[in-house]
Amino acid sequence: MGPPKIAAFDGVVRVLFFSGWKELSVVLGCFLGLMVLLFLIGKVPVSYNVRNLMIRWKTTVMTGLAFTLVVALMTVMLAFVNGMYKLTEKSGQPGNVIVLSEGATDESFSVLTFVDSADIEREPGVLKNDAGAALCSKEVFVIVNQEVPVPQGEKPRRRFVQVRGVEEPDMAATVHGLKLKAGGQWFSEAGIEELEPEAAKSATNVAIQAVLGHGLAAELGNDRPENRPLATGDTFSLGARTWKVVGILDSTGSTFDSEVWAKRARVGEDFGKANVFSSYLLRTSGPQAAETLAEQLKGYKKAPLNPQPETKYFQLQAETGKQFLVAIIIVAVVMAVGGVFGVMNTMYAAISQRTKDIGVLRILGYARWQILVSFLLESLVLALLGGLLGCAIGMLADGLSARSVVSSGPGGGKSVVLQMVVSREILMSGLLLSLGMGAIGGFLPAVSAMRLRALESLR
Amino acid sequence: MLSLLDTFAKYGLIISKNVRRNLLRTMLTSLGTMVLVLVITLIWSVLHFLDQAMADRSSNFKAIITERWQIPSRMPLAYANTLREAAATGPDDVRPKDWCTWQFYGASIDPQKRDRDFSIIFFCMQPEKILTMTDELEDLRGARRDEVQRVVDKMQSQRNGVMIGVSVLKRLKKNVGDRMQLTSFSHKGIDLEVEIVGSPPPGTRHDTSCFMNADYFNAAFDDYKVRNKNQPHPMADKTLGLVWLRVDTKDEFQKMAAQIMNSPLYANPAVKCEAASSAVSTFLESLKDIFWAMRWLLAPAVLVTLSLVIANAISISVRERRMEIAVLKVLGFRPGHVLGLILGEAVLIGAASGLASAAAAYILVNKVFDGINFPIAFFSKFFIPIDAIGWGLAIGTLTALAGAVIPAWSARSVKVADVFSKVA
Repeated sequence: MGPPKIAAFDGVVRVLFFSGWKELSVVLGCFLGLMVLLFLIGKVPVSYNVRNLMIRWKTTVMTGLAFTLVVALMTVMLAFVNGMYKLTEKSGQPGNVIVLSEGATDESFSVLTFVDSADIEREPGVLKNDAGAALCSKEVFVIVNQEVPVPQGEKPRRRFVQVRGVEEPDMAATVHGLKLKAGGQWFSEAGIEELEPEAAKSATNVAIQAVLGHGLAAELGNDRPENRPLATGDTFSLGARTWKVVGILDSTGSTFDSEVWAKRARVGEDFGKANVFSSYLLRTSGPQAAETLAEQLKGYKKAPLNPQPETKYFQLQAETGKQFLVAIIIVAVVMAVGGVFGVMNTMYAAISQRTKDIGVLRILGYARWQILVSFLLESLVLALLGGLLGCAIGMLADGLSARSVVSSGPGGGKSVVLQMVVSREILMSGLLLSLGMGAIGGFLPAVSAMRLRALESLR
Repeated sequence: MLSLLDTFAKYGLIISKNVRRNLLRTMLTSLGTMVLVLVITLIWSVLHFLDQAMADRSSNFKAIITERWQIPSRMPLAYANTLREAAATGPDDVRPKDWCTWQFYGASIDPQKRDRDFSIIFFCMQPEKILTMTDELEDLRGARRDEVQRVVDKMQSQRNGVMIGVSVLKRLKKNVGDRMQLTSFSHKGIDLEVEIVGSPPPGTRHDTSCFMNADYFNAAFDDYKVRNKNQPHPMADKTLGLVWLRVDTKDEFQKMAAQIMNSPLYANPAVKCEAASSAVSTFLESLKDIFWAMRWLLAPAVLVTLSLVIANAISISVRERRMEIAVLKVLGFRPGHVLGLILGEAVLIGAASGLASAAAAYILVNKVFDGINFPIAFFSKFFIPIDAIGWGLAIGTLTALAGAVIPAWSARSVKVADVFSKVA
């Protein structure tokens, strides 16, 4: 059980989650086409198989349910991983370049000096806004350990909250391609405001103004008795300070959905990063320009940097997803193997009960291969029905929220709220798995049925 | 007593003959059971380990002191001087029984390549604490402990000696005795030359752990200062990751935690003191939904599938043997006896397959594959606990019982007259 070979899994990822629906359609089409072909060339009436399935309805239901459970589970598990991929895929802007310090694979480990920011935003290729300012967001990123309120006597609980300090919120929103939900506003130049004394949750009555990701607002809302997402005007505790929500980010489906945004100076000061940045995010004209700028910045002489297109940075953050995918594939395959044994059992039993039927069919002139087709079809029909039901149950997971971590490897990572996505590729994979189980589980029994001698089977 | 044993033997013989009657069916049911028990064993092994790591202990408490508000924790090394005494000042204050510090050092063995195949992360700590304060290693006994002690002694006498887990050595294509030039990515400019003097005992979670003498790591910062015109390294006052303290009881832990949290010595950055189990729980908080799904969705679904596989096989078997069951009844077997026979068959197949599967998983995963690689939070590898052999037996037995109840009940209810009237 060594580490997965990433290149091979990249192929699986591509087929399952991204551009693979055509390939899957071809394979599934071939499978279904083969079934139709078997129907057409099979001389044994299908009604014979259907009636048999109905007569042994308890066995049919139990075998079908095994297919259903395996496929439903695989669909739900893949929907979760798909949610992680979609999240990281949506988080990066194709024309952006993220600059970290050399060696840092995650913003939380990156330390950049103030001095370099002016040089970097003047690099050729960085776009400018109408006012002539470079489209560059200078940010500080920290992961804060937040105490979660628990009833008295319960074990203390904490969660990690990502806090992004941005220098200019409008610029940051433009470069990240995000906007606020209606009713909100960005934090002020000072980034703080005075609270009514009763609203203050810390020693001072000065709160840091914060904009929350939509998902995090919901999660923090779970801490409150009224159990509703935090909204503009609400306050919460983080670190040693009280924070006031001034806006909610319209960020559903990206990692920013799980972040707190505030004024950089306030975040840096409170979390020991007063004189540093964690990252610069630069906007270029497109993906090609972003690649060029990233290469260009690798040659930056004054400080060692780790520049990369933002999309690539988030692709690397999907590493955890790959890890889960490996585990899911192993579990699904092992479960499917278990299911195959169950199907074989059913089909062998069906054949042993119908030995005389097979003898009669042979005497009536049906060829051996027609007997094989008949039993194989029976198994495939069972698999198709069970698989379809499994897909239908799995589809219920679509849109459900779940918490997870995205990271590029051990040590870093972002705690995120994601939405599970059941894609057509996943449904096709589920059906293929089910039909594969049916074909493998049905083939050997069908061959044994085919090999029965007519006279012997009638004795 | 003898007659009871005789009855058991008689029934056992009938059950075993019945199981052998259709070897193909028995084998398929057994194989199905084995693979599904394997899935459950793997899932429960991961969950069991994490549950243990998150469970509060009633004695021999280990506490972790880290930066209070943010991760990664980066405290000044000077904090260690007082934290190892739990900030105790008065005679009534709690002092820990043992302590150690952890500093983290990440580097690559190739200055041009930074990917996983060339990277290594060290716990920089006091070598003598490896055997007293490190989970799992502190429990070693006999020759395995002596071997680690030998490596520890070498790390003390040769400061650049490092201990590297066998999985990491394999990944880096290095052996004990090799020297390595490390280029740091966690502490730019702190590049070290080390010699591999040994490995933690193979077959533990520490197959992926690497230990370095903290003195050697800290001396590198002094060298840096000398080389850079008395300019300290930018991270020089942020190298302390965490401090481990050990106390005997929960009361002592609580008093010590208050002592540290209320101490004026740790203002900027503030620190927090928490039980090791709480720290692990915090790291796993974001993955709770996944663990919930593994525990309450995946595992039960596999159990149901397993029951279905067994139920199917038993119900087929019962349907085929209605005549035989009727004959048994004519011969004087009561419905309860028939029920027992059918349940016995299912239990025999389930229990034997479950036991075999869990035992095979234990041997294969732990001895052949050196654990399951599934990095979560602090943990990179999982092993199958010896308890799993009991789980396998229990899962096989109980799911077989659950799956066989309905078919066995239908066998119990076979009416002799009905069966023979159909034959007639």
